[in-house]
Amino acid sequence: MINFIARRLVQLLIMLFLLSIVLFALVNLAPGGPLAGQGQSRHIPPERAAALKRQFGLDKPLPVQYIVWLVGNDWMQVDADGDGTPDSMGTRRGILRGDFGFSFQTRQPVIDEIKIRLPNTLYLMAITLLTALVIAIPAGILSAVKQYSKFDITITTLSFAGQAIPEFWLGLLLILIFYVWLQNPFTGEPLLPSGGMSSLDSFSIIDRTRHLILPVICGALGWIAWYSRFLRSSMLDILHMDFLRTARAKGLPERFVLYKHALRNALIPLVTMFALDIPTLFAGAVFVEIIFSWPGMGRLYYQAATQRDYPILLAVLIIGAGLILLSNLLADILYAYIDPRIRYD
Amino acid sequence: MSKSLLKLPGIVAILVLVSIVLAGCAPAQGGQEGSSITITIPEDPPSFNAIVGDTGYDALVSNMVMLGLTGIDPDGNIYPELAAELPSQENGGVVVDEDAGTMDVTWKLRQDVEWSDGTPVTAEDVVFTWNAIMDPEKGIWVRGSDYMDSVEKVDDHTVTFHYNTIYTGYLTQLGGEQLVVWPAHYCDSEQGFSQWDCGRQPLSNGPFVLKEWQVGDHMTFEKNPNYYEAGKPGIDKVVIKIVPEDTVRREMLLKGDSDLIMWVSETIARELEGQPNVGVSVSPTNRWTLRIFMNQAERGTTDPAASPNPFFADLRVRQAVRQAIDVDAIAESVFYGYSNPAWTEFSRDPYKCEVPRPKFDPEAAKTLLEQAGWKDTDGDGVRECHGCANANEGDLLEFELATYPDYGEPILLAHQLIGEQLTKIGMNPKLVVIEGTVMWAEAEDGGTEQSGNYDMDLWDDGYSGVDPTDYMDEIYNSSAAVPGSGWNIVRWISPEMDQLLSETHTLDESKRKEVFCQMANLLDEQLPVVLLFTIINADAHSSRLEGIQSNGNDVVTWNAANWKVK
Repeated sequence: MINFIARRLVQLLIMLFLLSIVLFALVNLAPGGPLAGQGQSRHIPPERAAALKRQFGLDKPLPVQYIVWLVGNDWMQVDADGDGTPDSMGTRRGILRGDFGFSFQTRQPVIDEIKIRLPNTLYLMAITLLTALVIAIPAGILSAVKQYSKFDITITTLSFAGQAIPEFWLGLLLILIFYVWLQNPFTGEPLLPSGGMSSLDSFSIIDRTRHLILPVICGALGWIAWYSRFLRSSMLDILHMDFLRTARAKGLPERFVLYKHALRNALIPLVTMFALDIPTLFAGAVFVEIIFSWPGMGRLYYQAATQRDYPILLAVLIIGAGLILLSNLLADILYAYIDPRIRYD
Repeated sequence: MSKSLLKLPGIVAILVLVSIVLAGCAPAQGGQEGSSITITIPEDPPSFNAIVGDTGYDALVSNMVMLGLTGIDPDGNIYPELAAELPSQENGGVVVDEDAGTMDVTWKLRQDVEWSDGTPVTAEDVVFTWNAIMDPEKGIWVRGSDYMDSVEKVDDHTVTFHYNTIYTGYLTQLGGEQLVVWPAHYCDSEQGFSQWDCGRQPLSNGPFVLKEWQVGDHMTFEKNPNYYEAGKPGIDKVVIKIVPEDTVRREMLLKGDSDLIMWVSETIARELEGQPNVGVSVSPTNRWTLRIFMNQAERGTTDPAASPNPFFADLRVRQAVRQAIDVDAIAESVFYGYSNPAWTEFSRDPYKCEVPRPKFDPEAAKTLLEQAGWKDTDGDGVRECHGCANANEGDLLEFELATYPDYGEPILLAHQLIGEQLTKIGMNPKLVVIEGTVMWAEAEDGGTEQSGNYDMDLWDDGYSGVDPTDYMDEIYNSSAAVPGSGWNIVRWISPEMDQLLSETHTLDESKRKEVFCQMANLLDEQLPVVLLFTIINADAHSSRLEGIQSNGNDVVTWNAANWKVK
């Protein structure tokens, strides 16, 4: 097992290195650039564009830019004032030493931008995922155990709907119902807030929970549908297996048969599935964050993409890629751990 | 049995949820004193340094805490902020050396303005700010900076700018919509103008001070007790909430959870007008004019002399395009009457020029195309070249008409209507939509306009204030046609225009007006760009908030000190 993990980790690093080249090239070669006029000015005067290019390090050829991004430029002379001759040492340390550069938009270190938003996203996504699991697991089990019952048909229909409804539409609908239409009968205020993480100057758990309800419903619905469908079919597979008949034949109560023997086996694929979803804890949910004004990673990434803020884009992409590779590894390890039939040698 | 067991936690969960939903936010009004308003904007300002980020949201927050030497009002008039008066030749503030062609501008500063830490605002701060801007490494290029040799502190409240030419834009050199004066004792020049920390945690000399900035969520401002105008600002607390989705911003305004939406689109403005408790303020002058850019060089090239555009190098085709477009119909149906027809760059006092309004006349447009050698002989509705100037015999009058999606629905609808109207005169425009970050990117980043890789583009452009000098130079000078040297992206090469542009560098207003009106006639004749109409510059506010005046030359917070809550 140790050998297996070591081998996979080496593969992972090689993969990540190759990915870094591909991602860097893709982000930089895509049409459009950070110096295109935004917001107010549709066109940036050429003199300013030239100065910005130098400040952003975009005046170098792409391979040089990649090397600077990777290992920094504090070991070489750069031409910081644009007079054509290198005059001072660079200040970048490169992502290998934890320096992801600074955002073209805010001029703040990328790592700070991520640090501000990551906790918000972790908080929302963890609760969303937990809620999804808490609802999806019983729903999936029940609809498998009572296959073709009214409950099963209802859950199945809802699941298909949940997977089909786009988040941005559902989000706006939830706001329309719970913010615009429905009122709290006691205070006359909207039933639920339209967005944000909390009211200003309010730190109560109740207030925070109220702000969580709509985004969590909006974000969890798709996952509930996905996990419950998955668990239903995996449970159905198990229910038709011989060892369950044996269990019943030796006189075990149905409860034990279902929840001890069947469920444990049915959960195995779900656990690995869940492990693969871990990177979304980092990436966040773009639509939910936009509609419910949630200051998270999804919005940071979306804004960086529309503004061609390369350093932020690249940081989110490369960290995300690393997490996906790691969670794949984790899924494999978990699989071996919970399913004795699997052995990696 | 298992059923009833499952039911109990379910019921408890629902009860808890219902009670949380109904708990409501504890009304905090009891402990709250003073007036407070909420502004909603879609994204965080990059910083308080509006000239660096240029998103408009930075200007919004900058106006609230920082003062420049001057400001600019909705009609384009420049008024003093930190300056005690506007320097002019009459009051001796501007001294011109006719022989050398240079000038000195001396600013007298108000003596009663302090930073929020109690330090007075002095000439030192002005000199410091200018030197930080001019730093070749960490500064930024601003208009007019090439014309200025140095800045000199005369005494604590007097400072002189030495220009190496006659620069007419001197009044907004450290003022206007984006430039402000920074505190020398607080900002760290080592960090550099474009990214110093004081740009994110500014020291205030304006009506408000920044109290808190929760990135991505909200910013809180409080009244600056040291503000120099007595009795102002009229509001104690301003909260800016980041709400990305525009329908949510609209609903929050209607529900009273927000008092001001910056920059509403035509669609939202129309929906809000007539709603109770909401007002829409429209700027009296509109900065942005929707316009059609026609590439005079062949697609993919940038030299119209070497490779003229098969269609638009011919003046008659450009004229036909202008006559084919029903400006009033588009303005009314898509922009809901919030726009004014525009046909010249010179429509604001004091440089307003009388240019007769072109007629909408598709028949005349067809005749022009016939004369230019574009005829539809095979009857398929699309003209072909039969004796036209720059295309091969038999080529179709077929090209791409591009616009950008970022502005939203109105421009996209106008795009379609213009496409239809051009089709009616026998053209075949292919409608494409290109992101602004692609359209306006540098040539080497694949910017379609800089690299000349377009036929016809539709977007909105314009200048702030009433002085078109710098803008005209960036858009119409033949030297600006070279990729990376400016925004003459239609590649219109006119020695006559270049001559006129060089004559604008005089402080004589009547002389300038004469030159600008000659330009207006030349542009009307040569039609490098077809102007259509101005687009809306408006802000929507709750009716309890008084004093809101949308400002097309700046952003809505330009007069935040004067706001009041009913």
